[in-house]
Amino acid sequence: MTTIIIIKSVDNHSSVREILGSVVDAGERVHFLRLPTVQCLGSLIQEVNPMINYGVDYTIHPLPEGYDVSTLVEFATEFDANRICIGISDRTLTGKARIDDLTQSILLHDDISGDFVVGEHAIILEELEYGD
Amino acid sequence: MLRIEFQIELAGISSHLFDIDEPVTSIEIDNALPVSGDKVFLFLSVQFDSEITADRLSEELSNIDVVDVTQAELNRHIYYLGVMAQLSDASVLSLLTETKAIPHRIVGKNAQLEVMASVRDWNHLKEVADAIETEHGSLELLGTTQTENIGFPLGGNKIKHSMTGKLSEEQLEVLETAYQMGYFKVPQEVTAEEIASELDISRSTLSARLRRVEHNFCALLFGPQE
Repeated sequence: MTTIIIIKSVDNHSSVREILGSVVDAGERVHFLRLPTVQCLGSLIQEVNPMINYGVDYTIHPLPEGYDVSTLVEFATEFDANRICIGISDRTLTGKARIDDLTQSILLHDDISGDFVVGEHAIILEELEYGD
Repeated sequence: MLRIEFQIELAGISSHLFDIDEPVTSIEIDNALPVSGDKVFLFLSVQFDSEITADRLSEELSNIDVVDVTQAELNRHIYYLGVMAQLSDASVLSLLTETKAIPHRIVGKNAQLEVMASVRDWNHLKEVADAIETEHGSLELLGTTQTENIGFPLGGNKIKHSMTGKLSEEQLEVLETAYQMGYFKVPQEVTAEEIASELDISRSTLSARLRRVEHNFCALLFGPQE
């Protein structure tokens, strides 16, 4: 199983911990996909330590400046990702996970579908299927 | 099941009501009943910036087929309206029900229509969003949560409906502040003095307002005192 974790901020510790601890199984492949606004994942990786603490293999990829949702879906298709996980950084007044523009674009994209799970700290899109 | 919140530009009956001369703060569709043909009987809560007389409101609504106007008992800025409208005046509601989504709240405020609804899953969300974007141009998803139960459908939240307008703004402020600060938890997380200080009112004023809130709740539950 292959999982993409979209990193919107180096402060996404709790999201990454939830995903690695309760969604991803040991031995699986994880791709950290950082937005252009995130300069470096060093401190996040050091703190979470995916290999030692969770036994997962990981690689880090930057999303290019000027990326759009198609770039992300192409990336997911290329790696045949089974899951895309997005950290919840904020909640609405009624306690719902706030959906930002990128998350909305993924959710409403025609070429990607699957199961939608809302966790405590992360939105998990799994059992992914890709269109044309 | 997913509970979603989204917003679109004002449309339909909310848009008409925001166009009247009296400044409207919010409009909520409390309930809707089908009428034969392409009409729908809508029940609305409309909150104004300031108090407005029923006669003035009727004048303002002369272009709308108003069946009933009732002013809230305590908060005189709120009116409950029953209006006969075209189905297209409640198009978001129609689109939600046509796509088998469950509408929970539809509120017009701040030049937007904010909607809370339940959908089965991700594919259903896409179907609903597509139908709304086709009709209304664009949709902004605000939030989502996962839920096991269907929750209250539109108009099903009787307690909220019954309480709207029955507490004054001061009473609501006291109640909400006390609730948010943990006054009603066991053990209490805050003292009455701390709430009074937060609201910049005296301890006795706080007690009086909270007692009035409790009295109004009891009146709703048990009816008027003999």
